[in-house]
Amino acid sequence: MDKVMSTADAVGKFIGDGDFVFMGGYICRPPFAAIHEIIRQKKRDLTITRSNAADDFDMLIGAGCVKRFISTFISLGLYGLARCYRRSIEKGIPHKIEIEEYTNLSLPLMLMAGALGMPFVPVKDMAGTDLMNVSSFMGDGKYKMIESPFDRSPVMLAPALRPDVAIIHVQQADGEGNAQMWGIGGDCKWGANAAHRVIVSCERIVSRETIGKDPSRTIVPAFKVVAVTEEPFGAHPGYTPGFYDVDMSFGYLYQQASGTVEGFQAFLDEWVYGIKDRAGYTQHYIQKFGYAQFRKLQAKFDYGYPVSYAY
Amino acid sequence: MSTHPDSYIKPELMACCGAREIRDRDIVIVGTGFPTMSANIARHTHAPGARMMQESGVFDAQPARPALSVGDPCLNPGAAMIGGLIEVMGMFLQGGWVDVGFLAGSQVDKYGNINTTVIGDYANPKSRLPGSGGANPIGALAKRVLIIALHNARTLAERVDFITTPGYLDGPGARERWGLRENTGPQVIITNKAIMRFDRESKEAYLESYHPGSSVEEVTRLTPWKLMVSKEVRETEPPRAEELRVLREVLDPLGMIKIYEKRGYV
Repeated sequence: MDKVMSTADAVGKFIGDGDFVFMGGYICRPPFAAIHEIIRQKKRDLTITRSNAADDFDMLIGAGCVKRFISTFISLGLYGLARCYRRSIEKGIPHKIEIEEYTNLSLPLMLMAGALGMPFVPVKDMAGTDLMNVSSFMGDGKYKMIESPFDRSPVMLAPALRPDVAIIHVQQADGEGNAQMWGIGGDCKWGANAAHRVIVSCERIVSRETIGKDPSRTIVPAFKVVAVTEEPFGAHPGYTPGFYDVDMSFGYLYQQASGTVEGFQAFLDEWVYGIKDRAGYTQHYIQKFGYAQFRKLQAKFDYGYPVSYAY
Repeated sequence: MSTHPDSYIKPELMACCGAREIRDRDIVIVGTGFPTMSANIARHTHAPGARMMQESGVFDAQPARPALSVGDPCLNPGAAMIGGLIEVMGMFLQGGWVDVGFLAGSQVDKYGNINTTVIGDYANPKSRLPGSGGANPIGALAKRVLIIALHNARTLAERVDFITTPGYLDGPGARERWGLRENTGPQVIITNKAIMRFDRESKEAYLESYHPGSSVEEVTRLTPWKLMVSKEVRETEPPRAEELRVLREVLDPLGMIKIYEKRGYV
């Protein structure tokens, strides 16, 4: 079954107000095309999660789409603290989001537990720190300390997470949704597999036959996928290994813009609300910064031996 | 060139101090900036068998330039293995394979606890910081933790506002009570003024050496708790010629380490 559709259709059909959404990425492959579309469609009251959030999560928070955030970390990387996030927490602009805090070990394990159908997972971090002393919407369901039934040592259990929907951006997928990724993974594979339905955004749609030439790279199988969207340059200003580099100067532009409410609004007007889709975004980028700058971000090729699965 | 050249900047000295903590064949989990440079200096000098990993999923990267983040594109081509957080933070760190973790903190206290969550009250913060990320599990599960901090009364504290990452928590025996492995925890705090280590009994940080240009008097004055001073306190060994050569010629020819001067490491 062919599931290829526009990002606008995928977001409109499969993300509802109030949904719990996992969004993959780790500086590499943030699904920005879909994130801009969520902002354009004015989705509200979302619960969002992933380990190490960045500008994409900051933007959703600033745009008022988020009610709750299961977090481990959020910053603008080299450009410091996340501005919209801070305004939300410190000043309630546009509103104060609720945060539940874990770590880059426990959250991926909780997603893994969700993917594996386990009710909870023992984690060996967080114990003894103030992360145990703060909770919000998960209340005393944030974690449980137990005595191990095997050796009586103290063990922390964290609940499994099952997002309603996951959105990931990968290098390639076929029309049915078999999604292939390479390079730094973050918690992308587990977050996607923990979700009830998956939207796959990709740099290029390939044939089922191409997928079969290197099936070990598939991180999500077609049967979990509800929509496939082809979005070249879809992770910009993040990067996609083998396709384009991280755009540091755009990161700086976002930091500067998001420093004030007015600047952030102007940024959204220019790069999200004033633009129809990712093709329009790319066109606007080239018009504004020049083709040479766009070209400079494109990856060089560096192939190894092609793999063979033949017997 | 003399064995200890006169001309260097403070971040270079700190990177070299970090390098000297790394042993041959250590498995090191690194972030960016000093830690990467420290681990790489060690690898090019006395610890050729040391291997690095980044929490994002990379083992033994061969970056062509200093990585600007743990997800930097330059970490991908040439790495020996790439997975994700479950592989590095789960299989390797929680699995017990990581010898050394490098951490920096917005706030660090005398027990080596680190705060990267919030300044002020949690519910109504003066300043909201990024959160734990990988810091808490690295502080909990690496065998030896090395801490980088600015030496001033804002960064150092008798007690952090919020323990994001465990050092020795509230003192002797606390890590073990929470189920953390014995004989693990912070080893050293490397600041722009001094090197502090942790007392075996009390688990409090004490002054081991002050950097050239500083003094016991200055370091104790800048430390907001009653800092114990080692009986054998001395001046920190300046960068060795070979350490500086590796740092400047091999690892960081563009001199990116200079940005840490702007961040107060002077």
